[in-house]
Amino acid sequence: MLVVDTLALSGGNVPARLFPDERTEPMTGVGGHTDTLGELLERVARQDPTAFAELYDATRSRVFGMVLRVLRDPGYSEETTQEVYLQVWRSADRYDPRQGSALSWIITLAHRRAVDRVRSEQSGADRESHYGSTNVDAAFDSVSEEVTQRDDRRRVNECLGSLTELQRRSVELAYYRGFTYTEVAEELSSPLPTVKSRIRDGLKRLKNCLGVTVDG
Amino acid sequence: MADEANDSSRDLLDMAPVFALDAVTAEERREIAARLAEADPEVSERFDTEVREVHETLAAMSAGTATEPPPELRVRLLDLVHAELTTKTPAEKTHTEEPGEPEAPRVEDEHLPPPVSLDERRQARRRNFLLAAAAAVIVAIGGVVVAGQWQTTSEPGTSERVFAAEDVRTSSGELDGGGTATVVFSKEEDAGVLVMNNVAPPAEGSVYQMWLVGPEGMEPAGTMTPDDVAPSTTAVLEDISGATALAFSVEPTGGSTQPTAIFAQLPLD
Repeated sequence: MLVVDTLALSGGNVPARLFPDERTEPMTGVGGHTDTLGELLERVARQDPTAFAELYDATRSRVFGMVLRVLRDPGYSEETTQEVYLQVWRSADRYDPRQGSALSWIITLAHRRAVDRVRSEQSGADRESHYGSTNVDAAFDSVSEEVTQRDDRRRVNECLGSLTELQRRSVELAYYRGFTYTEVAEELSSPLPTVKSRIRDGLKRLKNCLGVTVDG
Repeated sequence: MADEANDSSRDLLDMAPVFALDAVTAEERREIAARLAEADPEVSERFDTEVREVHETLAAMSAGTATEPPPELRVRLLDLVHAELTTKTPAEKTHTEEPGEPEAPRVEDEHLPPPVSLDERRQARRRNFLLAAAAAVIVAIGGVVVAGQWQTTSEPGTSERVFAAEDVRTSSGELDGGGTATVVFSKEEDAGVLVMNNVAPPAEGSVYQMWLVGPEGMEPAGTMTPDDVAPSTTAVLEDISGATALAFSVEPTGGSTQPTAIFAQLPLD
Protein backbone atom coordinates (compact mmCIF):
# COMPACT_ATOMS: atom_id res chain seq x y z
CA MET A 1 0.00 0.00 0.00
CA LEU A 2 1.24 3.41 -0.85
CA VAL A 3 -1.16 5.24 1.36
CA VAL A 4 0.96 7.61 3.36
CA ASP A 5 -0.36 8.49 6.74
CA THR A 6 -0.57 12.11 7.64
CA LEU A 7 0.92 12.59 11.04
CA ALA A 8 -0.68 14.85 13.52
CA LEU A 9 2.06 17.34 14.12
CA SER A 10 2.19 19.12 17.39
CA GLY A 11 2.70 22.45 15.74
CA GLY A 12 6.04 23.02 17.34
CA ASN A 13 4.72 23.18 20.88
CA VAL A 14 7.12 20.56 22.07
CA PRO A 15 8.82 21.54 25.28
CA ALA A 16 12.33 21.84 24.07
CA ARG A 17 15.76 22.67 25.22
CA LEU A 18 18.23 24.55 23.18
CA PHE A 19 21.50 23.08 22.17
CA PRO A 20 24.96 24.10 21.25
CA ASP A 21 25.33 26.25 18.21
CA GLU A 22 26.40 23.79 15.62
CA ARG A 23 23.53 24.65 13.33
CA THR A 24 25.35 27.43 11.64
CA GLU A 25 26.62 25.39 8.73
CA PRO A 26 26.99 27.48 5.63
CA MET A 27 23.91 27.35 3.47
CA THR A 28 25.53 25.69 0.57
CA GLY A 29 24.16 22.96 -1.62
CA VAL A 30 24.94 19.34 -1.23
CA GLY A 31 28.27 19.13 -2.99
CA GLY A 32 30.94 17.10 -1.30
CA HIS A 33 28.92 14.23 0.08
CA THR A 34 28.10 11.10 -1.74
CA ASP A 35 25.01 9.89 0.05
CA THR A 36 21.97 9.41 -2.09
CA LEU A 37 18.69 10.83 -0.93
CA GLY A 38 17.62 7.37 0.17
CA GLU A 39 20.72 6.98 2.30
CA LEU A 40 20.18 10.42 3.78
CA LEU A 41 16.61 9.53 4.60
CA GLU A 42 17.80 6.38 6.38
CA ARG A 43 20.16 8.50 8.46
CA VAL A 44 17.36 10.96 9.15
CA ALA A 45 15.29 8.02 10.40
CA ARG A 46 18.07 7.48 12.95
CA GLN A 47 17.61 11.15 13.93
CA ASP A 48 20.87 12.38 12.41
CA PRO A 49 20.54 16.19 12.20
CA THR A 50 23.43 16.56 9.75
CA ALA A 51 21.72 14.19 7.35
CA PHE A 52 18.52 16.15 7.83
CA ALA A 53 20.27 19.37 6.86
CA GLU A 54 21.76 17.72 3.78
CA LEU A 55 18.45 16.23 2.81
CA TYR A 56 16.79 19.61 3.21
CA ASP A 57 19.40 21.32 1.07
CA ALA A 58 19.11 18.68 -1.61
CA THR A 59 15.32 18.84 -1.86
CA ARG A 60 14.18 22.21 -0.51
CA SER A 61 13.75 24.03 -3.82
CA ARG A 62 11.74 21.19 -5.30
CA VAL A 63 9.49 20.91 -2.26
CA PHE A 64 9.02 24.64 -1.73
CA GLY A 65 8.51 25.30 -5.44
CA MET A 66 5.83 22.65 -5.78
CA VAL A 67 4.07 23.82 -2.62
CA LEU A 68 4.24 27.42 -3.82
CA ARG A 69 2.79 26.40 -7.14
CA VAL A 70 -0.18 24.84 -5.36
CA LEU A 71 -0.70 27.44 -2.62
CA ARG A 72 0.42 30.56 -4.53
CA ASP A 73 1.16 32.35 -1.30
CA PRO A 74 4.75 32.57 -0.07
CA GLY A 75 3.82 32.74 3.61
CA TYR A 76 1.51 29.71 3.51
CA SER A 77 4.05 27.89 1.39
CA GLU A 78 6.82 28.48 3.89
CA GLU A 79 4.63 27.23 6.74
CA THR A 80 3.59 24.18 4.80
CA THR A 81 7.17 23.42 3.77
CA GLN A 82 8.18 23.61 7.40
CA GLU A 83 5.45 21.15 8.35
CA VAL A 84 6.52 18.84 5.55
CA TYR A 85 10.12 18.69 6.74
CA LEU A 86 9.11 18.19 10.35
CA GLN A 87 7.00 15.31 9.16
CA VAL A 88 9.99 13.96 7.24
CA TRP A 89 12.09 14.26 10.38
CA ARG A 90 9.54 12.51 12.54
CA SER A 91 8.46 9.77 10.18
CA ALA A 92 11.49 9.04 8.02
CA ASP A 93 11.51 5.53 9.48
CA ARG A 94 8.32 4.89 7.54
CA TYR A 95 10.06 5.38 4.23
CA ASP A 96 10.35 2.09 2.40
CA PRO A 97 12.79 2.22 -0.52
CA ARG A 98 11.03 -0.73 -2.15
CA GLN A 99 8.00 1.48 -2.64
CA GLY A 100 9.65 4.29 -4.50
CA SER A 101 12.37 6.91 -4.47
CA ALA A 102 13.07 9.10 -1.48
CA LEU A 103 12.28 12.19 -3.53
CA SER A 104 8.88 10.88 -4.54
CA TRP A 105 8.15 10.02 -0.91
CA ILE A 106 8.92 13.58 0.17
CA ILE A 107 7.13 15.22 -2.75
CA THR A 108 4.10 13.04 -2.09
CA LEU A 109 3.99 14.12 1.56
CA ALA A 110 4.42 17.72 0.53
CA HIS A 111 1.71 17.65 -2.11
CA ARG A 112 -0.79 16.07 0.24
CA ARG A 113 -0.17 18.79 2.79
CA ALA A 114 -0.36 21.55 0.21
CA VAL A 115 -3.64 20.21 -1.12
CA ASP A 116 -5.08 19.88 2.37
CA ARG A 117 -4.11 23.48 2.99
CA VAL A 118 -5.48 24.87 -0.24
CA ARG A 119 -8.75 23.02 0.24
CA SER A 120 -9.11 24.28 3.78
CA GLU A 121 -8.42 27.85 2.67
CA GLN A 122 -11.11 28.11 0.07
CA SER A 123 -13.82 26.32 -1.79
CA GLY A 124 -13.15 25.06 -5.30
CA ALA A 125 -15.25 27.82 -6.81
CA ASP A 126 -13.27 30.50 -5.00
CA ARG A 127 -10.06 28.89 -6.08
CA GLU A 128 -10.99 29.10 -9.68
CA SER A 129 -12.40 32.62 -9.66
CA HIS A 130 -9.53 33.90 -7.60
CA TYR A 131 -6.70 32.10 -9.26
CA GLY A 132 -8.16 30.98 -12.54
CA SER A 133 -6.84 33.61 -14.87
CA THR A 134 -3.80 33.03 -17.00
CA ASN A 135 -1.99 36.08 -15.66
CA VAL A 136 -1.53 34.25 -12.37
CA ASP A 137 0.48 31.68 -14.27
CA ALA A 138 2.48 34.45 -15.85
CA ALA A 139 3.18 35.95 -12.43
CA PHE A 140 4.23 32.58 -11.16
CA ASP A 141 6.59 32.11 -14.07
CA SER A 142 8.34 35.36 -13.35
CA VAL A 143 8.81 34.42 -9.69
CA SER A 144 10.36 31.16 -10.75
CA GLU A 145 12.74 32.79 -13.21
CA GLU A 146 15.34 32.75 -10.47
CA VAL A 147 15.41 29.01 -10.50
CA THR A 148 18.79 27.68 -11.32
CA GLN A 149 17.82 24.44 -12.97
CA ARG A 150 16.60 26.05 -16.14
CA ASP A 151 17.24 23.04 -18.26
CA ASP A 152 15.16 20.82 -16.03
CA ARG A 153 12.49 23.41 -16.02
CA ARG A 154 12.45 23.72 -19.77
CA ARG A 155 12.30 19.98 -20.14
CA VAL A 156 9.34 19.68 -17.80
CA ASN A 157 7.55 22.47 -19.62
CA GLU A 158 8.26 20.83 -22.96
CA CYS A 159 6.80 17.61 -21.68
CA LEU A 160 3.72 19.40 -20.39
CA GLY A 161 3.49 21.03 -23.79
CA SER A 162 3.49 17.64 -25.47
CA LEU A 163 0.15 16.81 -23.85
CA THR A 164 -3.11 17.62 -25.53
CA GLU A 165 -4.65 20.81 -24.24
CA LEU A 166 -7.32 18.93 -22.34
CA GLN A 167 -4.88 16.44 -20.86
CA ARG A 168 -2.65 19.24 -19.68
CA ARG A 169 -5.46 21.28 -18.18
CA SER A 170 -6.89 18.24 -16.42
CA VAL A 171 -3.54 17.31 -14.89
CA GLU A 172 -2.72 20.89 -13.92
CA LEU A 173 -6.09 21.59 -12.32
CA ALA A 174 -5.82 18.40 -10.33
CA TYR A 175 -2.19 18.54 -9.33
CA TYR A 176 -1.38 22.24 -9.14
CA ARG A 177 -4.75 23.62 -8.08
CA GLY A 178 -5.77 20.85 -5.71
CA PHE A 179 -9.04 20.17 -7.57
CA THR A 180 -10.68 16.82 -7.07
CA TYR A 181 -11.33 15.01 -10.34
CA THR A 182 -15.02 15.79 -9.85
CA GLU A 183 -14.19 19.49 -9.69
CA VAL A 184 -11.98 19.13 -12.75
CA ALA A 185 -14.91 17.57 -14.61
CA GLU A 186 -17.18 20.46 -13.62
CA GLU A 187 -14.58 23.03 -14.52
CA LEU A 188 -13.99 21.53 -17.95
CA SER A 189 -17.65 20.54 -18.47
CA SER A 190 -16.59 16.99 -19.20
CA PRO A 191 -17.95 13.65 -18.02
CA LEU A 192 -16.09 12.02 -15.15
CA PRO A 193 -14.82 9.00 -17.12
CA THR A 194 -13.41 11.32 -19.77
CA VAL A 195 -11.55 13.32 -17.16
CA LYS A 196 -10.16 10.22 -15.54
CA SER A 197 -8.87 8.85 -18.82
CA ARG A 198 -7.40 12.23 -19.83
CA ILE A 199 -5.55 12.40 -16.55
CA ARG A 200 -4.30 8.84 -16.91
CA ASP A 201 -3.19 9.36 -20.51
CA GLY A 202 -1.62 12.71 -19.70
CA LEU A 203 0.39 11.23 -16.83
CA LYS A 204 1.56 8.31 -18.99
CA ARG A 205 2.74 10.74 -21.62
CA LEU A 206 4.58 12.81 -19.02
CA LYS A 207 6.20 9.71 -17.61
CA ASN A 208 7.51 8.66 -21.00
CA CYS A 209 8.57 12.16 -21.97
CA LEU A 210 10.51 12.64 -18.73
CA GLY A 211 12.07 9.20 -19.02
CA VAL A 212 10.81 8.11 -15.62
CA THR A 213 11.51 4.48 -14.90
CA VAL A 214 10.16 2.48 -12.02
CA ASP A 215 11.86 -0.70 -10.88
CA GLY A 216 9.90 -3.88 -10.31
CA MET B 1 -20.60 -12.44 -10.39
CA ALA B 2 -17.18 -12.71 -11.94
CA ASP B 3 -18.05 -9.85 -14.27
CA GLU B 4 -19.17 -7.76 -11.37
CA ALA B 5 -15.91 -8.42 -9.58
CA ASN B 6 -14.03 -7.47 -12.74
CA ASP B 7 -16.00 -4.26 -13.08
CA SER B 8 -15.26 -3.42 -9.50
CA SER B 9 -11.54 -4.08 -9.98
CA ARG B 10 -11.53 -1.99 -13.11
CA ASP B 11 -13.27 0.84 -11.29
CA LEU B 12 -10.73 0.64 -8.54
CA LEU B 13 -7.78 0.63 -10.94
CA ASP B 14 -9.37 3.54 -12.80
CA MET B 15 -9.00 5.55 -9.64
CA ALA B 16 -5.26 4.98 -9.26
CA PRO B 17 -4.10 8.07 -11.24
CA VAL B 18 -6.46 10.53 -9.55
CA PHE B 19 -5.71 8.93 -6.21
CA ALA B 20 -1.99 9.39 -6.84
CA LEU B 21 -2.58 13.05 -7.77
CA ASP B 22 -4.50 13.66 -4.51
CA ALA B 23 -7.43 14.58 -6.76
CA VAL B 24 -9.95 12.81 -4.53
CA THR B 25 -11.84 13.96 -1.48
CA ALA B 26 -10.86 12.67 1.95
CA GLU B 27 -13.93 10.45 1.90
CA GLU B 28 -13.05 9.00 -1.50
CA ARG B 29 -9.54 8.37 -0.25
CA ARG B 30 -10.84 6.37 2.70
CA GLU B 31 -13.22 4.47 0.49
CA ILE B 32 -10.42 3.57 -1.92
CA ALA B 33 -8.20 2.44 0.94
CA ALA B 34 -11.00 0.25 2.26
CA ARG B 35 -11.62 -1.28 -1.16
CA LEU B 36 -7.92 -1.92 -1.64
CA ALA B 37 -7.76 -3.75 1.66
CA GLU B 38 -10.53 -6.06 0.42
CA ALA B 39 -9.28 -6.36 -3.13
CA ASP B 40 -7.54 -9.25 -4.78
CA PRO B 41 -3.79 -8.96 -4.05
CA GLU B 42 -3.08 -8.83 -7.76
CA VAL B 43 -5.41 -5.85 -8.14
CA SER B 44 -3.97 -3.94 -5.20
CA GLU B 45 -0.48 -4.62 -6.50
CA ARG B 46 -1.38 -3.19 -9.89
CA PHE B 47 -2.95 -0.23 -8.15
CA ASP B 48 0.19 0.36 -6.09
CA THR B 49 2.42 0.07 -9.14
CA GLU B 50 0.41 2.66 -11.00
CA VAL B 51 0.37 5.03 -8.02
CA ARG B 52 4.10 4.60 -7.71
CA GLU B 53 4.68 5.42 -11.38
CA VAL B 54 2.62 8.57 -11.03
CA HIS B 55 4.48 9.60 -7.89
CA GLU B 56 7.84 9.13 -9.58
CA THR B 57 6.60 11.17 -12.52
CA LEU B 58 5.45 13.96 -10.22
CA ALA B 59 8.80 13.86 -8.40
CA ALA B 60 10.49 14.39 -11.77
CA MET B 61 8.00 17.18 -12.53
CA SER B 62 9.08 19.03 -9.37
CA ALA B 63 12.25 20.09 -11.17
CA GLY B 64 9.98 22.24 -13.31
CA THR B 65 8.72 24.36 -10.45
CA ALA B 66 11.85 24.41 -8.25
CA THR B 67 12.08 27.64 -6.25
CA GLU B 68 14.41 28.48 -3.37
CA PRO B 69 12.63 28.90 -0.04
CA PRO B 70 13.58 31.82 2.23
CA PRO B 71 16.84 31.02 4.05
CA GLU B 72 15.38 31.54 7.52
CA LEU B 73 13.27 28.44 7.01
CA ARG B 74 16.45 26.37 7.15
CA VAL B 75 17.53 27.97 10.40
CA ARG B 76 14.13 27.43 11.94
CA LEU B 77 13.88 23.81 10.87
CA LEU B 78 17.33 22.93 12.14
CA ASP B 79 16.50 24.70 15.41
CA LEU B 80 13.32 22.70 15.79
CA VAL B 81 15.03 19.44 14.97
CA HIS B 82 17.86 20.08 17.41
CA ALA B 83 15.36 21.13 20.04
CA GLU B 84 13.52 17.85 19.60
CA LEU B 85 16.73 15.90 19.85
CA THR B 86 17.83 17.55 23.05
CA THR B 87 14.39 16.99 24.55
CA LYS B 88 14.67 13.32 23.81
CA THR B 89 18.14 12.89 25.33
CA PRO B 90 18.23 14.92 28.53
CA ALA B 91 20.35 12.37 30.40
CA GLU B 92 23.82 13.69 29.61
CA LYS B 93 23.08 17.24 30.60
CA THR B 94 25.05 18.73 33.42
CA HIS B 95 22.28 19.66 35.76
CA THR B 96 20.33 17.18 37.80
CA GLU B 97 16.83 18.48 37.55
CA GLU B 98 14.28 17.01 35.25
CA PRO B 99 14.25 19.02 32.06
CA GLY B 100 10.48 18.99 31.92
CA GLU B 101 10.28 20.61 35.32
CA PRO B 102 11.14 24.26 35.01
CA GLU B 103 11.02 26.46 38.05
CA ALA B 104 7.51 27.34 38.97
CA PRO B 105 6.75 31.01 38.60
CA ARG B 106 7.02 32.69 41.94
CA VAL B 107 3.48 33.38 42.85
CA GLU B 108 4.38 35.59 45.76
CA ASP B 109 6.28 37.86 43.41
CA GLU B 110 3.63 38.30 40.83
CA HIS B 111 2.89 41.90 41.75
CA LEU B 112 6.57 42.74 41.71
CA PRO B 113 9.10 42.95 38.93
CA PRO B 114 10.98 39.72 38.29
CA PRO B 115 13.44 38.65 40.95
CA VAL B 116 16.84 40.06 41.58
CA SER B 117 20.30 39.06 40.60
CA LEU B 118 21.71 35.69 41.37
CA ASP B 119 24.83 34.15 42.71
CA GLU B 120 27.26 32.16 40.63
CA ARG B 121 25.68 28.83 41.26
CA ARG B 122 22.22 29.95 40.37
CA GLN B 123 23.67 31.67 37.38
CA ALA B 124 25.10 28.35 36.22
CA ARG B 125 21.82 26.63 36.84
CA ARG B 126 19.96 29.40 35.13
CA ARG B 127 22.09 28.90 32.11
CA ASN B 128 20.60 25.48 31.79
CA PHE B 129 17.17 26.93 32.13
CA LEU B 130 18.12 29.57 29.68
CA LEU B 131 18.75 26.71 27.32
CA ALA B 132 15.24 25.45 27.88
CA ALA B 133 13.90 27.28 24.88
CA ALA B 134 10.44 26.54 23.73
CA ALA B 135 10.29 25.64 20.09
CA ALA B 136 7.13 27.69 20.03
CA VAL B 137 9.23 30.77 20.49
CA ILE B 138 11.23 29.91 17.43
CA VAL B 139 8.02 29.45 15.52
CA ALA B 140 6.89 32.84 16.72
CA ILE B 141 10.10 34.34 15.45
CA GLY B 142 9.46 32.69 12.15
CA GLY B 143 6.08 34.33 11.99
CA VAL B 144 7.56 37.71 12.67
CA VAL B 145 10.16 37.30 10.02
CA VAL B 146 7.72 35.98 7.50
CA ALA B 147 5.44 38.92 8.02
CA GLY B 148 8.37 41.28 7.73
CA GLN B 149 9.68 39.66 4.65
CA TRP B 150 6.56 39.62 2.58
CA GLN B 151 5.41 43.04 3.54
CA THR B 152 8.68 44.73 2.85
CA THR B 153 9.44 45.31 -0.77
CA SER B 154 12.40 47.64 -0.41
CA GLU B 155 15.72 46.76 1.17
CA PRO B 156 15.90 43.75 3.41
CA GLY B 157 15.07 44.42 7.05
CA THR B 158 17.36 43.68 9.95
CA SER B 159 15.61 40.45 10.80
CA GLU B 160 15.97 39.20 7.24
CA ARG B 161 19.65 40.03 7.20
CA VAL B 162 20.13 38.26 10.51
CA PHE B 163 18.28 35.15 9.45
CA ALA B 164 20.08 35.01 6.15
CA ALA B 165 23.51 35.45 7.73
CA GLU B 166 26.01 32.63 7.49
CA ASP B 167 26.79 32.88 11.19
CA VAL B 168 23.22 33.20 12.50
CA ARG B 169 22.79 31.81 16.02
CA THR B 170 20.07 31.50 18.59
CA SER B 171 20.20 32.04 22.32
CA SER B 172 17.13 31.44 24.38
CA GLY B 173 15.89 31.09 27.91
CA GLU B 174 13.04 31.09 30.36
CA LEU B 175 12.63 33.98 32.75
CA ASP B 176 11.99 33.52 36.43
CA GLY B 177 8.93 35.72 36.23
CA GLY B 178 7.53 33.42 33.52
CA GLY B 179 7.83 33.46 29.76
CA THR B 180 10.71 33.01 27.38
CA ALA B 181 13.18 35.28 25.66
CA THR B 182 15.02 34.32 22.50
CA VAL B 183 17.56 36.30 20.61
CA VAL B 184 18.53 35.33 17.07
CA PHE B 185 21.71 37.13 16.19
CA SER B 186 24.57 37.44 13.74
CA LYS B 187 27.92 38.94 14.61
CA GLU B 188 28.63 39.49 10.94
CA GLU B 189 25.46 41.49 10.51
CA ASP B 190 26.12 43.12 13.89
CA ALA B 191 22.45 42.77 14.78
CA GLY B 192 19.94 40.55 16.49
CA VAL B 193 16.21 40.04 16.85
CA LEU B 194 14.80 39.58 20.34
CA VAL B 195 11.49 37.81 20.82
CA MET B 196 9.83 37.61 24.21
CA ASN B 197 6.83 35.35 24.66
CA ASN B 198 4.44 35.41 27.60
CA VAL B 199 6.69 37.64 29.65
CA ALA B 200 4.78 39.65 32.22
CA PRO B 201 5.05 43.42 31.70
CA PRO B 202 7.07 45.41 34.26
CA ALA B 203 5.15 47.04 37.07
CA GLU B 204 3.74 50.54 36.49
CA GLY B 205 6.44 53.14 36.88
CA SER B 206 9.19 50.76 35.79
CA VAL B 207 10.63 49.42 32.54
CA TYR B 208 12.64 46.45 31.41
CA GLN B 209 16.00 47.63 30.20
CA MET B 210 18.27 45.63 27.92
CA TRP B 211 22.04 45.75 28.21
CA LEU B 212 24.79 44.57 25.96
CA VAL B 213 27.43 43.00 28.16
CA GLY B 214 30.90 43.61 26.77
CA PRO B 215 34.52 43.72 27.90
CA GLU B 216 34.04 47.33 28.92
CA GLY B 217 30.92 46.75 30.97
CA MET B 218 27.25 47.22 30.21
CA GLU B 219 25.92 49.32 27.35
CA PRO B 220 22.23 50.30 27.46
CA ALA B 221 20.35 48.69 24.54
CA GLY B 222 16.82 50.00 24.93
CA THR B 223 13.89 49.83 27.29
CA MET B 224 10.42 48.31 27.25
CA THR B 225 7.56 50.00 29.04
CA PRO B 226 4.60 48.04 30.44
CA ASP B 227 2.73 48.94 27.24
CA ASP B 228 5.54 47.63 25.05
CA VAL B 229 5.41 44.15 26.54
CA ALA B 230 2.71 42.16 24.77
CA PRO B 231 2.18 38.38 24.86
CA SER B 232 4.67 38.32 21.98
CA THR B 233 7.12 41.18 21.87
CA THR B 234 9.90 41.68 19.35
CA ALA B 235 12.76 44.10 19.28
CA VAL B 236 15.68 44.65 16.96
CA LEU B 237 19.14 44.95 18.49
CA GLU B 238 22.00 46.69 16.72
CA ASP B 239 25.74 46.90 17.40
CA ILE B 240 25.90 43.54 19.11
CA SER B 241 29.15 42.24 17.65
CA GLY B 242 31.28 43.23 20.64
CA ALA B 243 28.86 41.85 23.22
CA THR B 244 29.11 38.54 25.04
CA ALA B 245 25.60 38.60 26.49
CA LEU B 246 22.29 40.40 26.45
CA ALA B 247 21.16 41.24 29.98
CA PHE B 248 17.80 42.40 31.30
CA SER B 249 17.12 44.59 34.31
CA VAL B 250 14.21 46.40 35.89
CA GLU B 251 14.65 50.17 36.00
CA PRO B 252 12.52 53.20 36.77
CA THR B 253 10.63 54.71 33.85
CA GLY B 254 13.07 56.24 31.41
CA GLY B 255 15.79 53.73 32.11
CA SER B 256 19.13 54.05 33.83
CA THR B 257 22.72 54.51 32.79
CA GLN B 258 23.83 51.55 34.89
CA PRO B 259 21.74 48.45 35.60
CA THR B 260 20.19 48.18 39.03
CA ALA B 261 19.20 44.55 39.12
CA ILE B 262 19.97 42.13 36.30
CA PHE B 263 17.38 39.37 36.29
CA ALA B 264 18.29 37.45 33.17
CA GLN B 265 21.11 37.06 30.68
CA LEU B 266 21.23 35.46 27.26
CA PRO B 267 24.73 34.56 26.05
CA LEU B 268 25.73 36.05 22.70
CA ASP B 269 28.76 33.95 21.88
